[in-house]
Amino acid sequence: MDYFSEGLTKAVALLLALDPETFSAVWATASVTALALAASLLLGLPLGFALGHFRFPGRRAVRLVVDWMLSLPTVVIGLVVYALFTARGPLGEWGLLFSLPGVAIGLTLLGLPIIISMTATAVESTDVRLTQSVLSLGANRFQLLAATLCEARFAMALAAASAFGRLVSEVGIAMMVGGNIKWQTRTITTAIALETGKGEFASGIALGIVLMLVALLVNMVVGLLRARAATDYRGRA
Amino acid sequence: MSAPLYRLQGIEAAYGEGQAVLRVPELSIARGSILGLAGHNGSGKSTLLKLLGFLLAQRAGSLRFDGELVDARALRHGHLLRRKAVLLGQDTCLLSRSVAANVAYGLKLRGQSASKEAIAAALAQVGLPAADYAGRSWRQLSGGEARRVALAARLALAPLALLLDEPTAGLDRASTEHVKAAALGARAAHGTTLVIASHDLDWLAACADTVLTLDEGRIVAGLQ
Repeated sequence: MDYFSEGLTKAVALLLALDPETFSAVWATASVTALALAASLLLGLPLGFALGHFRFPGRRAVRLVVDWMLSLPTVVIGLVVYALFTARGPLGEWGLLFSLPGVAIGLTLLGLPIIISMTATAVESTDVRLTQSVLSLGANRFQLLAATLCEARFAMALAAASAFGRLVSEVGIAMMVGGNIKWQTRTITTAIALETGKGEFASGIALGIVLMLVALLVNMVVGLLRARAATDYRGRA
Repeated sequence: MSAPLYRLQGIEAAYGEGQAVLRVPELSIARGSILGLAGHNGSGKSTLLKLLGFLLAQRAGSLRFDGELVDARALRHGHLLRRKAVLLGQDTCLLSRSVAANVAYGLKLRGQSASKEAIAAALAQVGLPAADYAGRSWRQLSGGEARRVALAARLALAPLALLLDEPTAGLDRASTEHVKAAALGARAAHGTTLVIASHDLDWLAACADTVLTLDEGRIVAGLQ
């Protein structure tokens, strides 16, 4: 127990002293997560909206693929991205392997299906009466889309918060594509894995505390958004 | 005598590929008139209102509105027709916004701004004082109040035709009187043509110039 409390004390000291190595990992994590989340939202929101709103041939198959991608192990995504970015791979000349943009691309593949799937579900769940009500007031197609997006706003924000929680705590892709290079591509999760392997529990715990605080914040936001989204649909029923 | 606002000839309507649920050989609705629709559940009242509100296309026959033929081509820009003929459906719901934003929404769709006075006037027509209601969230309304706000949103548009499907369902006596006054007021102020479906025959007779009874998708009786 002393062993653990000693590690915890050292961890708090590292955080309070703004230890450069610890905060390098925090910064790397914040960078790749922000980039990946932005890309996932940019691509995922319109795709998710289209999947939830429009009826087209092959829609069920597309939905099946998106849901299947939700359950892909992150090491498999890491492996695929590694194979693409390695020197002999088709995108090898881009020089993205062992770089933060490379990790961000890998994380985007993880976040994208979450955003698409949850947005599609949110749009599908939007009250069917809403469509008729908005149309009967004279809305054109674009105005109907805007109204549907607006009504599903809390559910889509929930999708973003859920994706953020998944991205910030990811380790497989960051390890394989980033290479866990100190001061460059080492993220919170890969640093925890490495430091713990070396017996440096203090650094591991310090980073773990940061990650747990982020997770707590994300869970609070998710809980709040889930309640708002649920109230929206219950209230109109 | 001016041409009727609606003229239906040989109309058949259905949902999807199924059997026709509405057959209207001939129907004209005069401008500025109030037409009541009576009949049992499933008699075709709501289907006729959706057809008149351009939310459902006829399978056969011809429909003229405001002198124009409403065919598949016209329905491709259905929102332009729906801006003239506005439906308050049985299952109309509000947007998750304030009462004032809901009343102003239809005007904004038309690129018009909604003044506080216009919103207050529309709410007053359905018996809801703006001072008490305009700032309320849609969550804070009862079912009956939400229905009256939805009606106020449509009255604010001063449409050529206002189509009301069971507008008094779930309302108390005082509220139904407000709805009646609002319907008559819309005609008096803007010459709005009204088509109202209701199970409340006494209320309907008090509002409408003519009441048609539907059964199994056909008009079976008319009463003036």
